[in-house]
Amino acid sequence: MSHPDYEQTYHHHSTLLILVKYLGDELSTKSFNKIFDRINRINYVKFTDGGGVPRNIWARYIKDYPVGNNDWGDFQTHRRLLGLITVGKCKTQVDLNELCRKHESLKVRYNSTLYDTRCVIFGVNDGESTPSYTPPSNFKSRALYFASDGDESAGLEDQISEYISSLFWVLESKRHERSREKIDKVSLLLAPFEKKDFVGLDMESRSNKKRCVGRMTKHLGDLCLQAGLPVDALNHYQAAAETLRSINDLLWLGSACEGLSAASMCVRFPNMHKSQTVQRNTSLQETNKTKTPTSKASSSGSEILEPSSLQLPSLPHNVLSNEEICKTYRESIIHYSKYQHAGVIEVEVCFKAARVAVELNMALQAASFLQNIIFITLTLPEDEKIKKLMTLSDLYGKIGFQRKASFYQRLAATKYVSARNPQTNWDQCYNLMLQSLSGHRLSLDPSDYPAGGNNGWGRLQKQVLQDVVVAAKRVGHSSLATRHMTLLLQVMWSELSPQERHESAQQLQVIAAQCEGSPIPLILDSGLVIPPANLIHIPTAESFVVHKLRSQFQPLKLDKIKEDYGPFLFTPFKFGSLERNTTSKDKLNYLWVAEEECEVKIELTNPLQFELEVSNMRLLTTGVVFETLPLTVTLPPEVQKYVVTLTGTPKEVGELEITGYSTHTLGVKSNCRLKCLPQISHSQFTIEVVPALPYLEATLNIDSTKDQNGSTISLYAGESAECQLVLENFNKGEVELIEISSDCDPSMLSYDLSNLQSQLPMKEGAKITIPLTVFASGNFVNSYPTDTASVKSSLISGTNSFPSLTSLKPGQYDTLTTPTPSFRSGPSSLNSLTSQLTQLKLDHASKGLVECRLKVKYSGKPGIDSGYCRIATVVLNVDVSNSILISNWDVMPAETSSQFYMVLDVMNMTDQEIEVKYTASKSILIEEGEPCRVPIPVDRCPLSKIGKFFQSEDSIKEVVDLNVTCSDHIASLVEVQWEMGERKGKASLKGITLSSHMLDIVRMSPINWEIWVNDLEPNNSTPHIVSIGECIQIRIIAHNSLSRPLTDLSLSVQFFQDYRNGTCNYNLDSRLATSGPSHIHLPVVEELGSAVMECCTVFFNPGQYKMSVQCSSQGRHTWKQMPPVEFDVQDVA
Amino acid sequence: MAVCIAIIGKENAPKYVACTEKDQELDFHYKVHSSLDIIEEKLSATSLTKGTDLREQCLGLLYATEEHKIYGYVTNTKIKIVIVIDANHTGLRDNEIRAMFRKLHGAYADAVCNPFYIPGDPITSKKFCETVHGLLVKS
Repeated sequence: MSHPDYEQTYHHHSTLLILVKYLGDELSTKSFNKIFDRINRINYVKFTDGGGVPRNIWARYIKDYPVGNNDWGDFQTHRRLLGLITVGKCKTQVDLNELCRKHESLKVRYNSTLYDTRCVIFGVNDGESTPSYTPPSNFKSRALYFASDGDESAGLEDQISEYISSLFWVLESKRHERSREKIDKVSLLLAPFEKKDFVGLDMESRSNKKRCVGRMTKHLGDLCLQAGLPVDALNHYQAAAETLRSINDLLWLGSACEGLSAASMCVRFPNMHKSQTVQRNTSLQETNKTKTPTSKASSSGSEILEPSSLQLPSLPHNVLSNEEICKTYRESIIHYSKYQHAGVIEVEVCFKAARVAVELNMALQAASFLQNIIFITLTLPEDEKIKKLMTLSDLYGKIGFQRKASFYQRLAATKYVSARNPQTNWDQCYNLMLQSLSGHRLSLDPSDYPAGGNNGWGRLQKQVLQDVVVAAKRVGHSSLATRHMTLLLQVMWSELSPQERHESAQQLQVIAAQCEGSPIPLILDSGLVIPPANLIHIPTAESFVVHKLRSQFQPLKLDKIKEDYGPFLFTPFKFGSLERNTTSKDKLNYLWVAEEECEVKIELTNPLQFELEVSNMRLLTTGVVFETLPLTVTLPPEVQKYVVTLTGTPKEVGELEITGYSTHTLGVKSNCRLKCLPQISHSQFTIEVVPALPYLEATLNIDSTKDQNGSTISLYAGESAECQLVLENFNKGEVELIEISSDCDPSMLSYDLSNLQSQLPMKEGAKITIPLTVFASGNFVNSYPTDTASVKSSLISGTNSFPSLTSLKPGQYDTLTTPTPSFRSGPSSLNSLTSQLTQLKLDHASKGLVECRLKVKYSGKPGIDSGYCRIATVVLNVDVSNSILISNWDVMPAETSSQFYMVLDVMNMTDQEIEVKYTASKSILIEEGEPCRVPIPVDRCPLSKIGKFFQSEDSIKEVVDLNVTCSDHIASLVEVQWEMGERKGKASLKGITLSSHMLDIVRMSPINWEIWVNDLEPNNSTPHIVSIGECIQIRIIAHNSLSRPLTDLSLSVQFFQDYRNGTCNYNLDSRLATSGPSHIHLPVVEELGSAVMECCTVFFNPGQYKMSVQCSSQGRHTWKQMPPVEFDVQDVA
Repeated sequence: MAVCIAIIGKENAPKYVACTEKDQELDFHYKVHSSLDIIEEKLSATSLTKGTDLREQCLGLLYATEEHKIYGYVTNTKIKIVIVIDANHTGLRDNEIRAMFRKLHGAYADAVCNPFYIPGDPITSKKFCETVHGLLVKS
């Protein structure tokens, strides 16, 4: 036997071997195969013999059988060729003769073992439609004639089963013959290679006799098994094994063991192979009716069956169990292995044992049988080796040993192309290589690989993929080679060392030079689809940022919808719909605009040691139409985080999904999807594209006559300047709406929009100019005097320029200037006060450089319809420098009760002489850095503004509010104008603060005085002329003009002489006498009520006297009658 | 003693492979890789028999080739340790193999205890390497 039959199973022990041969060349190979299939289906015949024992007879059809194998027929009878069927077709007598001749010659070849033959001939001798010829005389076989190989050969199946039964009966008779042989007469059966071993041996020895008997018993077992008597066979084999073991006839003992196992299997699973013919074609079922209907229950043998499910109810006691079967097989393998010439038999028994183990579900046993095959050294041609390896791989696959299976597949693949193989076949090699991928946990689809890597055995996977690349290259399919190389670089990237990456990349470049790789699936001739692979690591994307549009291009909603955030400043809960939360996961919260160039920034790393040219980089998008601009970039060797910007223009409105980018590098086009990129956490970006919007450019046109540069204007505080805002429409549609707003103090920047609306809509390329007025609102008031008392005292103790104060009595002065107790009561109120005061101060802190942002909100079709606009921003910097500063201030009562004097210390802060115009007609020049004190008459703060503050003056808030009101009152009335050469400006008193004493002067007195002297009409303007010794009746009526009663009021009258040099003489005891009270105390004066006080005065000396009348409430406020009543006392003479 | 030692992770990916001869490294990889089939088979066989919590960790001889014998060991966390022994080295007793496995298991446990070691990564511990190379034959 030259080579093993790798398909052998235990079942073959019980079959009759029949050769089916194809003769002549009239019949096509295809129709022969059809005929063979039909014959092959008739492989089972059931008989009942004379003793009533049912016999299951199996036939095994083969197409080719080496004569050498027949020689082993004595050793194992199933190797004998028992039958011969030839199939041919002919039309002429000559053809027929030729067929018959060939049939006869075949008969001669296998003559020693053939029992019977058939010759199936189509085309002649069947009915009248076909020519009728007579076979030649030397044709001794039975010929079966059919008109054609189609429907008209329906009788073929019956004929074949009849043929099998004829073979069986011959076999049965031989079996009987053998079993009746006398024990001492039996001849020695020999395996082919044994013949010379027994030359010259004593054939009559006792052991030899035993040998003969043992071998014959084993032979009988073989025959019984074939003849459908497995139980008998079992007995025979057991007897033979015992006999042969006693004389150490190991080869035959092995054979007996093998037979024992096979018989046991046959006994236990009698129906196992019955349906190998399973109804592949249901229309042919009728022809199979000879079979038992139970055949359907069995399987095709490739499945692993539960042994117990098919066991017969009663088994003979000597049948072997699963373990025993394996053990017996093992024993037989061990015995065979001792004979070098039995290598083929050993290989076959290994395969049989492995298949049995597979069927018995004993994977480890099967593995060890298969492992054993490798150790058997047989000199085989390469194609046989491949067959062996493929069978091994197949069986390993069946027991789930995918790795082993793949290993042998790969080994077989390499055998196809090994140097020893005369016909190298790269196609086969490549196909097997592909099949072996799964065992290495490799797949051709990159999406099958888990993201984390570390899947399977990287070292081997690398090698396997490399081999696939080589095989694909040798096949000549360079597109496949490119694809596989790309896959290798994609999925094995983490396994590759930098050096390997470099080499692989270069290799890819070489392969791809022949055929460019592109990301489309390749379909092989075999129908296998090879999914695209992408170079996601060359270059490696480190980050992927979808950029916002630049601020001037960003679209904004015209009307901001106020979102409801609920009652909490922060809450982890989202109010409103939940789905917004889910959809916005990858959705970007900014917008792109149609027809506007948008950008995506990618940081690329070149992992390779050579310069990498990446061409045709584009964005991959889905959703709305997006026009992306290709980019070509050359990455220096091993560059890290090289920034490239991909641009594109959305053409439609809607949602745009950015799923990745495409590259073309190393000759391979790749689509790098974000979800495949490990460095990027997003699987895609979704961005909303809004309708196209026009584009305006806003610029500031600053009057250049002044020393201004850029968008900065230098102004002195209080000065104002003009400039222009120019809006230009860049050709992106008409602008239909323009709104202008600024974020700075409206007093600083004002603009005239009156012309704007008339110029809308704005055509493309049009310009609009809007005049702007900038006012440098500065801080003119130094700061809040931190200690009012000290300011006051400095004012008082300094020059006597403030006569109003000095005219007060020292005692009164204290009560007036000392802040009220409530003003300083408790730290908390103090704090709140100071904080308010600081705020007051901050509002007017020196501004220096002020940045004004002018926002021009504009929109146009089509974006305006969906409520989007754009904002153009211009920045105007106003550099405010100090002009004049009010360092100190005070108030003085004026000559009339309706006014008071605001006395200001004005400081020139500039480095030039400045002219300060403080009233309509008065102005003063101040040198640089010089202070100057100016009085400004101001109307007192009317009660209508502050009346409410008299109600309860206890709270600090009211004090502050009163202060603010009065300060505003002053600021609204007083405006100090300054001029400095051509430049001029104005200073406001905003932010001035007043002490409570000042407040009493500033605000209108709630008391209206009426002073009657000698019952004359009150006339305060001219002095009353009285004479010495005259008793002057004075009647003072104080009217309460408030809408509430004043309580705890004291009225007082005091006479004094004003020397008009700043000093007043109050000590007039020797100069006048007063009858009646000079002080009265009133607990309450009703609202709009009045208090009356009367007294009489007699002047002793002539001169000018004045009478001051004042009223104080609760010791807090003092109101004086202004101006004092004057008396001109004249001598009587 | 051993010519190749491999630590294989739960998902059957190698975490550490060391062998004596560098030029045969790929051979060893193949051998260890295909031995996984048998380990898996043995594991599934034991997992079928229920109630045996105390699994035998040492799987014994997995298979033998002409040059090598391959032994396997599985921890409770399904980490596989495979030792390849030269087939000519016949004097080795079973419990010596077991001792080697136990030593490797201990070394592996120590390596994994390192808080900076990320489970699943290849093992790079120097101490572990020393232990492994101590078990490999000096050739």
